[in-house]
Amino acid sequence: MIDFDWLFFLEVSLAGLGSGALLALTGLSFVLIYKATRAVNLAIGEMLMIGAYAFFSFSAGLGLPWWAAVPAALACGGLLGAVIERAVIRPMLGESAISVLMVTIGLGSVLIGAVELLWGADPAQLPDFMGTSPVFLGPAYVSRKIVIGFAVAATVITLFILAFRFWRGGVALRATATDQGAAYSCGIDVPVVFSMAWVFAGVAAAGAGILVGAVGGISPAMGIFGLSALVVVIVGGLDSVVGALIGGVLVGLIEAWTGTYLGGEFKTLITFGLLIAVLMVRPYGLFGTVEIERL
Amino acid sequence: MSITRRTALALALATATTLAGAPARAADDIVIAGSMPLTGVFAFAGIGVHAGIQDYVKIVNDAGGIAGRKVVYVAEDTAYKVDQSVAVFNKLTSQNKVNLYYGDSTGFAKTINPELNRLGTMMMAGASFATELNDPKAYPLQFMAGPDYTEMVGILLQYIAKTKPGAKIAFVHSDTEFGRDPIGPSEAHAKKLGLDVVVKIVTPPTAVDVSTEILKLRRADPDFTIFHGYVLAPLPEFMNQAKQLGLKTKFMGTFWSMDNSLWGKVGEAADGFMGVMPYRYYYDAEGKSPMLEKIRAMRPEYQSTPYLQGFLTTMLYLESAKRVLEGGKELNGPNLKAALNSIKDFDTGGIIGTPITITGNSIPVGRVYRYDAVKKAMLPNSDWIQLGK
Repeated sequence: MIDFDWLFFLEVSLAGLGSGALLALTGLSFVLIYKATRAVNLAIGEMLMIGAYAFFSFSAGLGLPWWAAVPAALACGGLLGAVIERAVIRPMLGESAISVLMVTIGLGSVLIGAVELLWGADPAQLPDFMGTSPVFLGPAYVSRKIVIGFAVAATVITLFILAFRFWRGGVALRATATDQGAAYSCGIDVPVVFSMAWVFAGVAAAGAGILVGAVGGISPAMGIFGLSALVVVIVGGLDSVVGALIGGVLVGLIEAWTGTYLGGEFKTLITFGLLIAVLMVRPYGLFGTVEIERL
Repeated sequence: MSITRRTALALALATATTLAGAPARAADDIVIAGSMPLTGVFAFAGIGVHAGIQDYVKIVNDAGGIAGRKVVYVAEDTAYKVDQSVAVFNKLTSQNKVNLYYGDSTGFAKTINPELNRLGTMMMAGASFATELNDPKAYPLQFMAGPDYTEMVGILLQYIAKTKPGAKIAFVHSDTEFGRDPIGPSEAHAKKLGLDVVVKIVTPPTAVDVSTEILKLRRADPDFTIFHGYVLAPLPEFMNQAKQLGLKTKFMGTFWSMDNSLWGKVGEAADGFMGVMPYRYYYDAEGKSPMLEKIRAMRPEYQSTPYLQGFLTTMLYLESAKRVLEGGKELNGPNLKAALNSIKDFDTGGIIGTPITITGNSIPVGRVYRYDAVKKAMLPNSDWIQLGK
């Protein structure tokens, strides 16, 4: 048998888990909005970018410490979600899913333009707030940012899963997702639920943006990361929070293994191959609800 | 077709707006037009190039133009999309008698080439240093104001072979046309110079996290890692993690990732980053650089490397135009290109620190600079290297 480097494999897998967690967190924003409002939000990558730039302004611009800049950026993300829902999405209520989808594509362009106007077109780096000393799990090296990213993503997703199960607001959101008419008749304020979904999605996207920006830097083009997350949620199931987590980890691991053993040029090929395979076997995603209407 | 009053009014209004919008232009103006990526993924470069062209045009016009003819520059945003670049090209060339054109990408340069040859009225350069374009037979009316990407890597390899013979090299490139461009020929070049290419790492264009790539790099343990196909990200993260792991490799890049202000924002991790630059930096004070002095007088704040690229491109455009007019020839594409190729031991006013000769479509000259985080500046780390000499 050839000598297989298990330590290397372990390190690669840990790195894959970490980047998968970032994908899962971004995927969570997709899922929150889709679950509540049945809108596919293709501007999620750009919402993530705004969160990263907001953090950049608070930390590098205003000189706030990270523990103040992070909540401020998350609040901006939430506010952005609320504004988008109220100003752009709610007037589209009752329109076809394709119309809403097209609106979100346009919204993405608007957000990119806004970033270029406000912050300029140059790429930049977020201030280092996670420390630089390497982390070793036993003999295996893991990037510190990736460990932190994984911990944050896992915590946030767990919180959301618990909220959907036990919190009144979470239950209201699930009820609205299942049957809007029935939810109305039970006294659930559906428009408020819609707003809430967008606000939480905005916060999750901003959080993901800060993590993604800390690892990969920020630029008006960073929203393209949202495209990778779209794969994750389609694989996991567009309306499943658990699906986003498992889909993210799965895609992260597969990308890491592919990149290492086949070469980086195969990453996209294999990822989208997986997407097609899952769509053929389970068109609603691994954990999605069966009656999801495909676009 | 009957014309209603409303259509007539609309037509009249449209005509009036067009006439009012178009600046008065003399028939013998020399026109430079450009498809400029002022927004989109390459806006960082487009904005700099745009300013560089404007400034050189202003310098020339203030000095009386070219053979008494005024130079006019018109450009529109393309968002770095080929279809939009082509639309801008069609619009600007139909509205103006364009002599010189600036294209924003390799894709555009390749797409527009047949049309450029068919028209035969203008010479074109642009933001692309693609190796493929450095072929005077296939691209007879185009050029690039610097070395092509393979030549850029060639300059780095030559530097490495001289400073550390037999060194181990890693190539890290993006999985794009831009990223793949120099890799094949550079591998062969490295071998010829006695260097050992130990690993080639490809990153997808959407890549954010580079942890797995760093692990590969750590196993290969190269002396030098050459990046190509990026502006900034993911280079800083590579360098951060490499530092965490104590890797001894030195990181290098090519022109588009060499801007001083970008690395200034990276801070400490940028220290030691090296790369190839075909031009001097805005702040370089060594030697005689009358052009840099002019730029500094016009713009007291730092100007980016794309700015210098736009500035030098325009200098070469107008030097060619001057030679054509002095020769009493018609200002068209083939004549402009022939004039460009007559440039021999030309002094760029210090933008390039050595006299240049353009025999084909590129200027295979460059110098290795190294970023000093304490001084917050890219500083020269080699002499000017001319390939083929």
